[in-house]
Amino acid sequence: MRGWRFVCVVAALLAVLDVMVSTGVGAQDRGATTSDGWRQATSGYSMAFPRDHGSHPDYRIEWWYYTGNLESADGGRYGYQVTFFRVGVDPAPENPSAWAVRDLFMAHLAVTDVDGGRQWVAERLERGGIGWAGARTGTLEVWNGDWQAELVGESHSLVAFDREFGVELSLDPGKPPVLHGEAGLSQKGETPGNASHYYSLTRMPTTGRLLIDGDEVEVFGTSWMDHEFGTSFLEPGQVGWDWFSLQLDDGSDVMLFQLRRNDGRAPRLAGTWVAPDGTTRIIQPGDIELADGRRWTSPASGAVYPVEWRLSLGDPSAELGVKPMLDAQELYTEESTGVTYWEGAVEVSGEVEGRPVRGLGYLEMTGYVGRPMSEFFR
Amino acid sequence: MILFRRFIGRALWRDPVRTAVTVAGLTLGVAVVLAIRLANTGSVRGFERALELVAGRTSLELVGAGVGVAEPALAELGWLREHGRVSPVIDRTALVLTPDGTEWPVRVLGVDILRDQPFRDYRLLQITEDNLDDVRPQDFLELLVDPGSLILTEQFASRHGLTLGGPARLVVGDVVHEMSVRGLLRDEGPARVVDGQLALVDIATAQWLFARIGWVDRVELQLFEPEAIDEIEAKVSARLPEGVQVQRPAQRGRQVEKMLAAFHFNLNALSYIALIVGVFLVYNTVAVSVIARRREIGTLRALGATRGRVLRLFLGEAAALALVGAGLGAPLGWLLAQGAVRLTSTTVNTLYVTSAATVPSLGLADLLLALGVTVPLALLAAAQPAAEAAAVPPIDAVRQIDPSAQARRASRRPQVVAAVAFAVAAWCSTRPPVDGLPLFGLAAALAVVLGAAMLVPALLSWLQRVGRAPLARWLGVEGLLAHANLSAAVSRLAVSVAALVVSLAMLAAIAIMIGSFRETVAYWVGQTLQADLFVAVGDRAPVGAPLTISADTEAQLASHPQVRAIDPFRNVDLPYGPDGDLIILGAGDFQVLLDYGGLLFKAPADARTAMRAAVDADAVVVSEVFANKHGVSAGEWISLDTPGGRRSFKVAAVYYDYSSDRGLVVMDRRTFTRHYGALRPTGMTLYLDPDADPDGVRDELLAAAGPDTRLFIQTNATLRQEVLRIFDATFAITYALEAIAIVVAIMGVAATLLTLVLERRHELAMLRLVGAGRRQIRRMVIIEATLLGALSQGLGLVVGFVLSLILIYVINVQSFGWTIQFHLPVGFLAQSTLLVAATTGLAGLYPAAVAMRTSGGDRER
Repeated sequence: MRGWRFVCVVAALLAVLDVMVSTGVGAQDRGATTSDGWRQATSGYSMAFPRDHGSHPDYRIEWWYYTGNLESADGGRYGYQVTFFRVGVDPAPENPSAWAVRDLFMAHLAVTDVDGGRQWVAERLERGGIGWAGARTGTLEVWNGDWQAELVGESHSLVAFDREFGVELSLDPGKPPVLHGEAGLSQKGETPGNASHYYSLTRMPTTGRLLIDGDEVEVFGTSWMDHEFGTSFLEPGQVGWDWFSLQLDDGSDVMLFQLRRNDGRAPRLAGTWVAPDGTTRIIQPGDIELADGRRWTSPASGAVYPVEWRLSLGDPSAELGVKPMLDAQELYTEESTGVTYWEGAVEVSGEVEGRPVRGLGYLEMTGYVGRPMSEFFR
Repeated sequence: MILFRRFIGRALWRDPVRTAVTVAGLTLGVAVVLAIRLANTGSVRGFERALELVAGRTSLELVGAGVGVAEPALAELGWLREHGRVSPVIDRTALVLTPDGTEWPVRVLGVDILRDQPFRDYRLLQITEDNLDDVRPQDFLELLVDPGSLILTEQFASRHGLTLGGPARLVVGDVVHEMSVRGLLRDEGPARVVDGQLALVDIATAQWLFARIGWVDRVELQLFEPEAIDEIEAKVSARLPEGVQVQRPAQRGRQVEKMLAAFHFNLNALSYIALIVGVFLVYNTVAVSVIARRREIGTLRALGATRGRVLRLFLGEAAALALVGAGLGAPLGWLLAQGAVRLTSTTVNTLYVTSAATVPSLGLADLLLALGVTVPLALLAAAQPAAEAAAVPPIDAVRQIDPSAQARRASRRPQVVAAVAFAVAAWCSTRPPVDGLPLFGLAAALAVVLGAAMLVPALLSWLQRVGRAPLARWLGVEGLLAHANLSAAVSRLAVSVAALVVSLAMLAAIAIMIGSFRETVAYWVGQTLQADLFVAVGDRAPVGAPLTISADTEAQLASHPQVRAIDPFRNVDLPYGPDGDLIILGAGDFQVLLDYGGLLFKAPADARTAMRAAVDADAVVVSEVFANKHGVSAGEWISLDTPGGRRSFKVAAVYYDYSSDRGLVVMDRRTFTRHYGALRPTGMTLYLDPDADPDGVRDELLAAAGPDTRLFIQTNATLRQEVLRIFDATFAITYALEAIAIVVAIMGVAATLLTLVLERRHELAMLRLVGAGRRQIRRMVIIEATLLGALSQGLGLVVGFVLSLILIYVINVQSFGWTIQFHLPVGFLAQSTLLVAATTGLAGLYPAAVAMRTSGGDRER
């Protein structure tokens, strides 16, 4: 779900390709998005692990997304995000060169030092080329340069370092995989096929070390992993989204999102409730209310983000307040993908079924700056 | 200062012709030296500038052995990321066919567009008609998916009517690719290379276009800590696999500079001849003014001027002349450099490296060089006459002085100097080169010239004794008078004649050297070029930017029924030896060469047997130049870098080759492919059935290739002519430099004659009084001039012969390493002798006219 901002890039690319095809400029004919060899996400797909931790090259878009809240022995609080993307470009390039682009691989790394009030960000954009980026099928092994996520026994091993900061973490699976939507098929648009296969590991006990401003810190905490793959997700009129992953101290986990539209229609809402024992429940759109609160203006991009939220759920009934650990958690990616968004560690407090709860989580907000997403769909 | 202005300045002013000639001589000398210097720097700078623009912020680069880095090796280099950003590059040349019907070479840079951005300052101007200003890398994406995309520079596109989104035809080797212009680069960074002649493509496209699937030309590295480059270079070097080396981008510039060093050094040396002749003129001018103004000097001394002051006065005269000469020479040199660049760039492009040579602007350093060389030389030249002036006793002010009295003061000293000079020359010519440059050889040549110049007065005196009778007999009374006049002025003439002798000797020497070389090459071409047809792409492939023949074309050529055998060949540049000299590594079909070809072997005696053993073996044949430069002989082993690491190859034979002074190592095609991978050939030689008509087959092959073919097929006969044409073009600059030196020298003779005429005003008047006609006077002066010219040429030929031996057997061998068979270009030498005599005669016209006027004027008074 969360990687939609990258879908913008893909959409831009597809728009360009469509222009090329329609004007006959392209060297080879490429058909519509679904008729050029990519598989659609449809019902009937049955997830199995560890196979589905691996890559699904038949589908155009795929991402592996890790976020987490960590702390050090002396009580320092940290957040991190490591994301790997694969975006299919041409399932069978005509050019025999190894550099011919079948897929593009992107990756983002962010570390937040909550007490230091600072966030570090790095990103990578690579082609598969001669193996400098890629993803294996059958099991978890995805890499972009020397950033990588792989399965070591049952654990997910994450390594990603920039020059001054980075993470080296080991994540236990925790609860069993949570399949979102209908048995893992998450409908994104109104048209059938505009969907993805989507599962999460919502509460992964995590240990390892962080590199912060050149200093190493031993850390422990809880992570959240998303893995999603599909071919076509988006529909016209979508301007952005707000996405929440929350881990509550009663053992429950919550995933919520709203897709904001620019045509005056109400946002599309969806969510999943994960009980402490791992059982899941779809939260119906009618049971979700999201209210944005305090705003923060990014000095870098000028975007105004609602960094505080109130969430009201019907079943189970919950009232939750979400506050950022740090306001300045914007990823300003003018240099590469050019899509700027806010993604950061948050703390949550409120009550569930009348009992007080606290918790930690991650919040992603997109579409608050730059060209509206709908522009990519002209 | 006032004294200087009155005494020296006024005298120079009063004798404008001689002053002008001296200044003109110096000016030309300085100009030629600077022109060659600028042109030489220009050709290397052109290459280096392009190198810098393309290298951008690259701090280090990884190169493979001649053919690039193979992908499996590259895939293992992920660890480079620790040190900086990594970008693999394919760097080639192709032609763009423009809508206006012209074709232009462009540098094609194939990069991984996703990761290359931080390396080079290119900015995409537009990517769609929306005219977006700064486009982010994501907008490069479309370039990735379409292998027909390329980006041109805005400058190039607008000049040739290419438009964004429009088609562009790109010629790679003999294949025309229909591409489309997907972007325009703003005029900055690498887009400024050679008038914007740059095309940017994705690395996948580049590999496909240039048939380099599986290889990259080099890998560039932009360091995170550029200040630690030394340390990182060492670390990287230690960790690289065999067959991959790390170097700095400027290294390629240095290799080219080194490659051109011998060529440039010899041009430089040649350029100094004109300056030396100009300095002779300074000596002449100062010497003449000292002799002519002995009484005035005496008066000055009598009036209290010290010796030192007189010395300074005349040195001042030389310095003034030098200053003016250098001042005028510098801008003239810059102008001449434009012409010199044209003359030399053909050679540089044909034989060494493709570069758009541009003349650098005239810097302060050039002006300082002009002054720094000219003024000391002029002072040195003036030292002896100035010292003589300082020695004039005050009594001379009142003593009647015969201006030619000096002539009778015979001295043995010059002959002693000459003898020493010849001995030094003999010793120097046995010395080895210094750092690859023939410094001792040049010293030997210089010593011979000096010795010859020293002998000129003695020779003139001797001729004066033996020449009187023949001159009287053949040329009558004017001849006799001319003899008398010249005899009276031997000491003064000696300098001008020596200058002319030096120039003419140089000309003769160079003519003999070039003539011998040309004969040798002609013989070699006759022996070596045995094939019937020679196939290449375009009429001449620029060095370093090979134009390859496609597999389709090769198959088509081979399928002609009258083609018996094909030898495809391919050259790559390969650093060799401890200094990394760029040699040429060639691949050819040894079997075909043995069966049909005609290499001219130097060693061993049974070279053909040795070569037969080298077919598909780790063995090579090397050119004579390579063997000489690197001290290798047949039967020994040499180490060559290959993509798989350093390998040993046996030197099967040494053969004669005159196609390059860089040294050639040739291996069998099969051996080459085994070590360096399969590369498309850049040329092919075709052997036909004995009864085939080469011209007919050529026409049929071209017809089969279609009207748009890029193939260029030469028959044996036309290629031989072409080789000699290139040869002649190569030496055009040599003759041009020499011609300038001779013009300066002839001007010197004319100036000296003029001085003599002016000094002899009274005598000429007397001659008229005793009945000599104006025409006779003129004839007399012209005879004098012609005599001097003929004499100089005679002596010049003798000295030139000696010099040519030094050129051929010392300087050539040390700087180029060729065997040149000695050959006298008799016709050329005879022609030049007549020409010199005639030209000096013509140069006598002006003094003759002055003589007529002066003598007439005197009579009327």
